[in-house]
Amino acid sequence: MNNLPHLKNIFDRLKRGYHLGPDDEPEFSALCGHPDDYAAYFAAIGLTLVRHEREFFYLEPDNPETVPDTLPRIAVFSYVMIDYAANQGRPIEEYIFGQNFLVTALPHFTLDRYIALLRQVDVHDLPDLRILLKHIERIGWVKLDDDEFRFLRPFHRVFSKCLEIADAARSEAARDNGVQDSELEPLPVPLPGKDE
Amino acid sequence: MKINPQSFFNFCANHAPLLRALAERGGEISEAEALRSIRANPSAAEELPETAWRRLRELQILVPTEPGSEVFFLAEPVARLLTYLFNEANPATPEMIGGYVLSLETTARRLARALDEEDVQQVKLAFEEINQTLRRIHADLDETQHAILGEVARYKTERARVSVREKYRRIVHWMERYVEPMIDIVRADGPLRATFDEVERLLHRAREEALFNDHPVLTRNHRFLRLVAAHALRVFTQCRKEIQPLYESLRRSSFIAEGAARALEKLQVDGLSKWGNEYLIEVAALRFQNVPGDSAIALALRRVIEHPPKPPPVLELSGEREDPGALVRLMWLDSLPDLVRDDLPVEDLLGWLVKKHPSPNTSDVLAGFSRLLFHREFSAAFADQMPRAYATQDGEIEASPVALICV
Repeated sequence: MNNLPHLKNIFDRLKRGYHLGPDDEPEFSALCGHPDDYAAYFAAIGLTLVRHEREFFYLEPDNPETVPDTLPRIAVFSYVMIDYAANQGRPIEEYIFGQNFLVTALPHFTLDRYIALLRQVDVHDLPDLRILLKHIERIGWVKLDDDEFRFLRPFHRVFSKCLEIADAARSEAARDNGVQDSELEPLPVPLPGKDE
Repeated sequence: MKINPQSFFNFCANHAPLLRALAERGGEISEAEALRSIRANPSAAEELPETAWRRLRELQILVPTEPGSEVFFLAEPVARLLTYLFNEANPATPEMIGGYVLSLETTARRLARALDEEDVQQVKLAFEEINQTLRRIHADLDETQHAILGEVARYKTERARVSVREKYRRIVHWMERYVEPMIDIVRADGPLRATFDEVERLLHRAREEALFNDHPVLTRNHRFLRLVAAHALRVFTQCRKEIQPLYESLRRSSFIAEGAARALEKLQVDGLSKWGNEYLIEVAALRFQNVPGDSAIALALRRVIEHPPKPPPVLELSGEREDPGALVRLMWLDSLPDLVRDDLPVEDLLGWLVKKHPSPNTSDVLAGFSRLLFHREFSAAFADQMPRAYATQDGEIEASPVALICV
């Protein structure tokens, strides 16, 4: 099992919270080739390798008691991005994955509401946003290139979280109306589409 | 009131853009709005807007919403004619198709009775009615399909910034209002098929009877029944296939947008401290940097083994039981200038110290003496007297008296 290809690099990146997607070769292909072997190897040292339904890999977080400051920042940045995308009239995934974005043209400082939300997580201006994007790049959700960046496939983790939140709200509303969870229409599954 | 067809079509010929604008606008229209529309779409023949407005009402192109009302709408026959002319499709509602099915059922019952009674006239009328209904169903199904496909195309090409959730609501409306109920009606085990089967059985029966089997509509109805049944199912299956991916995509986007909006709203209302971890997307972060090697473990063990044993320090956790002597002495020395100031001038300083403060030992007495002797506010000088002995707590000091005065 120790002969798994690129094991050191894969472990080195995953343990820092990085998400390995199709942009991370040759590690990604190695993981795709032997997903069960890698999962078993990591399980032996107490780590859970997750293979997302949209085909990327990451280590399951161990629910730490102390939350790093960057996590709320990343979450607010991502939710604002989605909120803005929803108002553009195109399917959100197509909007997010279908283009490159300029850091200076991001919508985060275009609305007072967004500015106030970002201020709560200590993101005040464009330099703060650039620092935050570097953090997001470190976990493999975006690919930065000077003033331009694009979202990578692991950003689907944000979409999964959004669906989870919406589903929880829907279940709560259903319970208030005396409807069983099992009677609700299942959550939408990811559609095949351009995301790279 | 009868309308002269020539006048009607002459007016229409000269006002085609206006009629199109009225048809596209839809809904109710006031006189002011109608005049605005007339001015925006002037006639080919020169005429006053008021004249065009009057003719629109005279020709019953625009009719009041109720008798005496000042609000008008495009008369239904005219609207249908314009829809046909401009090749625009209006969807038939499931209730309309359901109505046709009911109508066919009623006609089938009449046909059955007429066949029983061998009533040639009634059978002929029933044949005609069935034929008309089938044509209407066919035309309405076609129009509905065009309308749905047009709507899907509009979604795909629409540049206007309509939010995903709004689009989703609209597509759900089309799905729930038209496509799904219509499929329920036209599917193989639905009411349309059941009625068609009954009509087909009656047509078979009519064909077998020599009295009716030469009627030209009979064969046509027979053909048409099969055609419409197959066409209806195909139309709505196709519509569902067209609309389903859009529906799924928008449904997913709508859920994603809702989740993000809820998370942001929670942050906005409750603040970061109450936001909760359920809105965060957690990532793994292992705290150790490297797995320790054998040599590192051996070194760590050796350091532990070779460390000399040493009892742990004992901390005095209870408070001081006695006054700290050094602090008391310091406070006493500091208080001396204030104490002596009230007694100045003092002729024999050492004598004053021993008399006023008998407790201090020889060392403390001499420290107090020095403190006062060199204090910047006082001045000292020998009193020109014979040496004397001064008894302290632990001894005796022999010295010439020194006087102290204020500077």
